[in-house]
Amino acid sequence: MFMQLLFGLSALLTLSGAIAVLVTKNIMHACIFLLASLIGIAGLYATLGADFVAVTQIMVYVGGIVILMIFAVMLTGGKDFVSRAQNLLGLAPSMGNKWTYTVGLLVSLVFLLTNVKLISSIVKSHPAKTFGNEFPSTVNQLGHLLIKDHVLAFELSSVLLLGALVGAAMIARPRKQ
Amino acid sequence: MNQTVVSYLSQYEFYDHLLAFFGNNQGLLSFVIYMIFILIIVTMCATIGGLGTYAERKISADLQQRVGPNRVGPYGLLQFLADGVKMMTKEDIMPFTADKFLFYLAPLLALVGVFSTLAVLPFSSGFALADLNVGVFYLIAISSLVGVAVFLGGYASNSKWSMLGGMRGASQIISYEIPVTLSVLAITLLAGGMSFGTIVGQQKGLPFNWFIFHNPFAFLAFFVFFTGALAETNRAPFDLPEAESELVSGYHTEYTGMRFGFFALAEYIEVFVVCGVAAALFLGGSSLPFNISFDILPLQLLEFIIFMTKTLLLYYVVIWIRWTLPRLRVDQLMSICWKYLTPMAILNLVGCSIWIVVFNGKSIAELIFGGH
Repeated sequence: MFMQLLFGLSALLTLSGAIAVLVTKNIMHACIFLLASLIGIAGLYATLGADFVAVTQIMVYVGGIVILMIFAVMLTGGKDFVSRAQNLLGLAPSMGNKWTYTVGLLVSLVFLLTNVKLISSIVKSHPAKTFGNEFPSTVNQLGHLLIKDHVLAFELSSVLLLGALVGAAMIARPRKQ
Repeated sequence: MNQTVVSYLSQYEFYDHLLAFFGNNQGLLSFVIYMIFILIIVTMCATIGGLGTYAERKISADLQQRVGPNRVGPYGLLQFLADGVKMMTKEDIMPFTADKFLFYLAPLLALVGVFSTLAVLPFSSGFALADLNVGVFYLIAISSLVGVAVFLGGYASNSKWSMLGGMRGASQIISYEIPVTLSVLAITLLAGGMSFGTIVGQQKGLPFNWFIFHNPFAFLAFFVFFTGALAETNRAPFDLPEAESELVSGYHTEYTGMRFGFFALAEYIEVFVVCGVAAALFLGGSSLPFNISFDILPLQLLEFIIFMTKTLLLYYVVIWIRWTLPRLRVDQLMSICWKYLTPMAILNLVGCSIWIVVFNGKSIAELIFGGH
């Protein structure tokens, strides 16, 4: 019962948040709806039994990305950046005209078909599981995988992040006259 | 997810009667039990938050040789109820140019972020809502909602003071999350797990089994954690987001009535939660001395009292610090975080991991007295 409830609420939050991001005309509100959608995705991960990934989702997106987005929106004009379009196509702020919409539709169709093709093999080989009230722990398995099998990718990504950090510090530091 | 309220109750006989009463529907019964205990814990913590405002005023009065609240109820104890009634009946004012949706959302988001952390707080070995495998990590992650709320409160008010307070609050909370998380990581290494059950279970016995006395690095990590936690909850000397001498009241300048009350309540409960986490991670939490292990209900009560005593003592220290130290400047705040606390936290983390390898995970006490 917990799982069905959790799944229903998370799915509702994810979908309604995502739709609200598209529909709203205020970019600050869009950030908050995105936050709701991302929390919903964390709930979906929890439903799948991936507790660590769920918490990491909240940690990274709520604590980091959304706050950074709000900072960026405020530094670039905040709520003055509001769409004034009246028709349906111009509802989403600065998304272009009907040609860009047509191209976008075609591209998303191609992506959809590719993804369905990719996922179908996984779905066929792994039949749907039903979970009880127990959350299986994934922390130990994830730790072993990260440190043993995927240690190279793990270390390389940390070097990449360090590079980004040093680059940001270089750009932001005050210039000596 | 073990050692929760439900699995603790399920070892008693009356649980079977309850189960029969609910038509053997395990899911429904655990749902009802969770709802009841959530109600108990939230009510309890809201009362603690309310009494926190009373304690704050009374202790500050003692420190400044004043009398403090002493009119409502015995020793002024019911002052917080009177304040609550006052806030409820106040006019709810919203600035004309405010962003209405975000203005209403911000105080609720702050409360949601704080109340969600109560789910993993280990009041005793049986009386905790959930013992998640990612307990500490969940707590750190979900409490960052408060940062968003502080920032939104500042932005939505559309006032310069609120805006500055919100900006300061967000940058402060993001920055101080790093030393706090690194200190928690050091303890996670020592305990070998992120669930509060594992962490508290490792500290059973006399006080020298606590993680704060495990090794010199963990001792330092406690102070890094506590300083960082003070900054994350916007308490003095780090209360720059609501610095009243420069920003009127910071991010909640434009809030009136119960909306202001929500922010204040969220802050006081968050301080309680942070003190509880510090007690559980470093000071043994609810573990009983001498490894007593009869599983009876009075013992649970004893554990609960031990946990609350440690937590409220830390709460006292937080208030004491607030009324003793002057407020920092913004640049001092940032340099303390990035130049002193973060390197210290990294040193503690590396030191703890080296200690585990060199001394095979034994604490100082075990090395001296030749423990198990």
